[in-house]
Formats: sequence, C-alpha cells, structure tokens
Amino acid sequence: MVINIAVGITMACSAPQKSADKPATGADSAFSVALLTPGPISDQSWNGGAYDGLLRIRDSLGASVSHIQTKTPAEFEENFRQYGAKGYSLVFGHGFEFQDAAARVGPAFPQTVFITTGGTRTSANVAAMSFAFEQPSYLAGLVAASVSKTGIVGCIGGTELPPVKSGFAAFAAGVHAVNPKARVVTAYLGNWDDAGAGKEQALAQMARGVDVIYQNADAAGLGIFQAAKETAGVYVIGSNSNQNGVAPSVTLGSVMIDLPHAFIAVAREVKAGTFVPRVITLDMKSEVMQWVVNPALLPVIPARTLHMVDSLSRAMRDGTFSLSFPPRPTGNP
Amino acid sequence: MQASRIRWIISAVTVLVIVAAVFAVLLAGGYDSSRALAALWDGAFGSPYAVLSATLVRATPLLFVGLAVGLAFRAGVLNIGAEGQLLAGATVAVTVGLMVGGLPRPLALPLVLIAGAMAGAAWASVAAWLKWKFGVLEVISTLMLNFVASYTVSWAVRGPLQEPTRVYPQTVELAESVRLPALVDGHRLHLGFLLALALAIALWWFLTRTAAGFRVRAVGASASAARSAGGIDASRTAALVFIASGALAGLGGASEATGVTFALYEGISPGYGYSAIAVALLARLHPLAIIGTALLFGALEAGAAAMQRDANVPSVLATVVEALVVLGVLALDRARAPRRSV
Repeated sequence: MVINIAVGITMACSAPQKSADKPATGADSAFSVALLTPGPISDQSWNGGAYDGLLRIRDSLGASVSHIQTKTPAEFEENFRQYGAKGYSLVFGHGFEFQDAAARVGPAFPQTVFITTGGTRTSANVAAMSFAFEQPSYLAGLVAASVSKTGIVGCIGGTELPPVKSGFAAFAAGVHAVNPKARVVTAYLGNWDDAGAGKEQALAQMARGVDVIYQNADAAGLGIFQAAKETAGVYVIGSNSNQNGVAPSVTLGSVMIDLPHAFIAVAREVKAGTFVPRVITLDMKSEVMQWVVNPALLPVIPARTLHMVDSLSRAMRDGTFSLSFPPRPTGNP
Repeated sequence: MQASRIRWIISAVTVLVIVAAVFAVLLAGGYDSSRALAALWDGAFGSPYAVLSATLVRATPLLFVGLAVGLAFRAGVLNIGAEGQLLAGATVAVTVGLMVGGLPRPLALPLVLIAGAMAGAAWASVAAWLKWKFGVLEVISTLMLNFVASYTVSWAVRGPLQEPTRVYPQTVELAESVRLPALVDGHRLHLGFLLALALAIALWWFLTRTAAGFRVRAVGASASAARSAGGIDASRTAALVFIASGALAGLGGASEATGVTFALYEGISPGYGYSAIAVALLARLHPLAIIGTALLFGALEAGAAAMQRDANVPSVLATVVEALVVLGVLALDRARAPRRSV
C-alpha cells in the first residue's frame, strides 16, 4: 500500500511539467514550491520563519517559489486549487487550519504534494507536520521561573490554537518544576497582528507583577517586546523563530522551530520522488525544535538552571526524556 | 454638448490618474507593474478556472450582503450589521446542517438555508427592536452586534459546536446532503451564486414593480413625507425591511458555509459585511447594479490574490491596488453622471 503510493508520487514528480502557458509563474521550472501563510511574513516569527524556509528551498534546490498571505478558509482552498492547477510540485499550508482545505483539494491534483504544518490529515498526496512545541516550551518554563523575581510569569498568545495552548501548558509545567508556588498568568489577544494590543496586554500583565513573558503572538508579539524594552527588569521569551535578535536586551531565549530545516528536508524528499505521505513529527530529536538561549543575557540566568536545561535538552535530543502536554491531537476532526 | 465633453475629459483624466497611481505604487515598491497588472487580470478573468473557481465564488457572498445592505439603505435603515447577520446565518446553518445531515438533500438543504436566513433576520431584529423600542441608532447597535456575533462564533467553535476530538477550533465538516451542489464539474462555483442572482432580480422587481416596494422607497426618500402625505406606517415598513435585510445577509452566511467552507470556522468572513456597504453604495443601491459591483469586487479580490501568487506583490500592496481601482470606478461613475445622487 505504502509502496504503491510512493511509486505513484515518484511517477507524478518525474513527469515533465507543462511549461507552455505561464512564463511569469513558478510552474514553468521542473520543481516549484508554494507557501500559504495565515499572516504577514514580516512577523519575525511563525510566518517569517516559513518564508525563510521557502527561500531556502529556492536557493538550495533551485526551485521556483511563490507565496501568498491568506485569511479565510475559502481563500485557503482557492489558493491550493490555483497552485494545483498550475502544476506546482509542493504546496505548504502554514498551520493546522489548512488541513481541511488540503484534504479536500488533494484528490483533484494528484501531481502536487500538499503539506500542512500542523494537523493530522493525510492521504495519497496530503501530509502534515507536527511540531513538538512542548519540549522547548518546558525548558523555557524552567528558565522563566528561575529568572523571575516576583514568582509571577505570563503567557501571551494570539488566539487559543492547539499548538499555542499545548506550548503554554508545557511552559507552565516547567515553571512549576522550578518553583511550585509560581503563578502563571495567561492571556490571548484575539488576533495575531495587532502589535498595539500585544503591548497593552504585556503592560497589563507587568502591572500585575509579571516579570517574564512567554509570547506566541506572531506580528502582535512585536508589541510585547516593545513593552518589555520600555520597562526595567522585565524579560520576554520568543517563539516560532529565533527572536533573540528582535530585542536582544530583554529576550532570554526563543522556543524556535527551525522551519527552514523542516521545509527543506521535506522538499528534498518530494523533489527526489521519495516522499511518503505521513504525519511528520518534528521534535528536539530531529533538531527542528530548539531552545535557543540569548548569549547576551546568559549572566541573568542562574548557572544551576543552565546546567539543568543543558542536560534536559541533551536527553530530549537523545529521545530519553519525553513530554506531552496535553495529549497530542489524534484522528481527524 | 459642452457639459458632456467636459465629463468625457474628466473621465479620461480620472482613468489616467488611477493607472498612473497604480503604476507609481507598484514601482515605488520595486515590483514589475506590468507583470502585476497582468496577474491581476489573469487571476480574475484569465481562465475558466479564474472565473469559475475564484471570481464568481468570491462575488457570491458579496452579492448576498450587498443586496442586504442595498435594501436596508433604500428604506433609510443604516444597517452596518450585515457582517454579524452573516455570521449568525452561517453559525445556525452549520448547527442545523449537522443535525439534519442524514436527511435527503431536497429536504435537508432548504431547511439549512431557511434556518440561516431566519438567524440573520433574528440577529437584525435585535437592532430593529432596540430602535423601535428605545430609539437606539441602528448604526451603533448593528456595529456592536457584529462584535458580539464574531466573538460568539469564536466561543461556539471552542464550546458547543467544537469537533469531537476537541482540539481544533472548528466544527466537523457538513455531510454531502447539506452542501450546495457545484454548478460546473471540477469548479468551486456553487448553487448559492444562482440563488443570489435570482434574489437580486426578485428584489429589483419588488422595489420597482410592487406597491410594497414603492412604500419602501418612499420611506427611504423621506420617512416624514411618507407618513404624512402617503399615510404609510414608516416605522413598521423600516422594521420589516431591517429584518428582511438581515435575512438576506444570513442567507449569505448559510450559502458560504454550505457552498464553500463546509464547516464553521472563526475566520469564515474576512469582513464581507463591511465590503458590502461599498458594494451597495457603488451600485447606487440598485439591485441589478449590485450584481455588477459584487462581480467587480470579487474579480478584484481574485486578481489581488493572483498578484501575490504570480508577481510577488505583497498582500498589503495588492490591497492598495484593489482600493485604487475601486476609487477609480467610483470617480468615473460620478464624473460621468454628476447630477444623480444616491
């Protein structure tokens, strides 16, 4: 069964692409890759990381690439179809929210591989990536608790999405592993692009005594860094991309998804025709998930914590220490 | 003679200014403007695919809500709440759809659509009641109800309507029997489009050919004159129009949920209810003209997406180009016919 599928995809990929109609688009080169993001690629986070991944595929594999920012489920499907109709080899939908559209469109365009970063739906040419957000989030929790002087740490998310929630749960577990009496204050902004709302929420948390904030709000999160820069003694933990450079003076570290690494690995498989549709689990062991400490702020973090984080991340990379907060999604919605 | 020549000159200048502005915006961003404009056209009309899977699909919800806003404004009811009424319609349509999915399509589908229209009507009637009972301005109440509707959807997809694994903020997908059938095989265009077209024609007929339609227009032209000179119960007429407007928007939501998304999600509407105000006003509230403006907006959105895909123009800049074109059409419309007004 699996072999049949793999062979089918190999054939589809090695078939010569039709390049007659659209010279301006990506579809005329042999290997073309497209990316749909739910937000602006200027967020230096979830969407920016994916766009970096797309450019990496372009540069390393010589693919022609295309990107579009989409808002509604209707647009997800429309653009999947447009790319499929133009004969793209590989199309990424950046988030679990793309999975229904991908599953629906897949059968109509068997020559295209559709991958959603999140979700669990798979079929002959549809696959999903699953990021073990919990692992580095737990490490971030250890650091946050040991740096916090007030014993109150905050989480600020864009909206209440599954990966955000599980990351925050693991973060809280890490916090409590260091300081069982610590309080974790969680808030969601209701959107991913209002930096003003991000800043406002961060200031509100600081007023309640929060002095370390784990943010996962993409473009809106940039306002959280801003608020921390303007307030003495408050630190931020970045997410999705390496955000240590966004505000080096206040960022303790980043819960990073090495999206370029993840993207290029799967693109290589698709290009070589060896890709098998599956849920691709990416964790610290595969080095796609990483906890990246900001070297500029190393002196702020107690040496004991750094040792603990080091040995735990080694164990996570070896696969000898595993975590799951809350149960990972299984089955289709 | 003189006046019409001046108008022609103004029109020509307007077109030139808009084209120049579009080129300037794209050039300033460092993008290939001719390639971007070619993509805009191709994405909207360049292939059967563009027309049948993008432009007309995007025009459908805009047509429903455009008619809703157009009808309300015609009677002087400033319904800014088509967005909320559309969301109410989509939510209830999906809820009912999940319950009656086992029934045969000829029975289940009308049930779902009617439920959606009734939900939109109910949502509008809250504002209509507030206006009638307490004199609350509908501009404010409907706008506020939009936020209530939007957050209610967010809550519902994480609460009572959430899919059974309780992981994703959405409902399960609707059964085949409660999905609007596709009009052309292999394309996304669905029956909702024809329904919206039929409603546009019916609304035009109602407004121009029936006594009730005349009363609606009379109330819209001047409620006090309609009351004193025409003996029309103006507030009753306005309230009925308000509710009918909500039903149209709710039906639009039901059509989008059963024809395009097949489930309820938070981001189901990118602000159709707000775009609809522009759609209706650009058409001077004329139901048949609203078909044209809804198509224009649908085409522009489909084309803007193609600009992103095929010419690397970022989303924000594509939206600027879209807005410039609308501005151009508006200016052209006014320049060609300076005497008429809404």
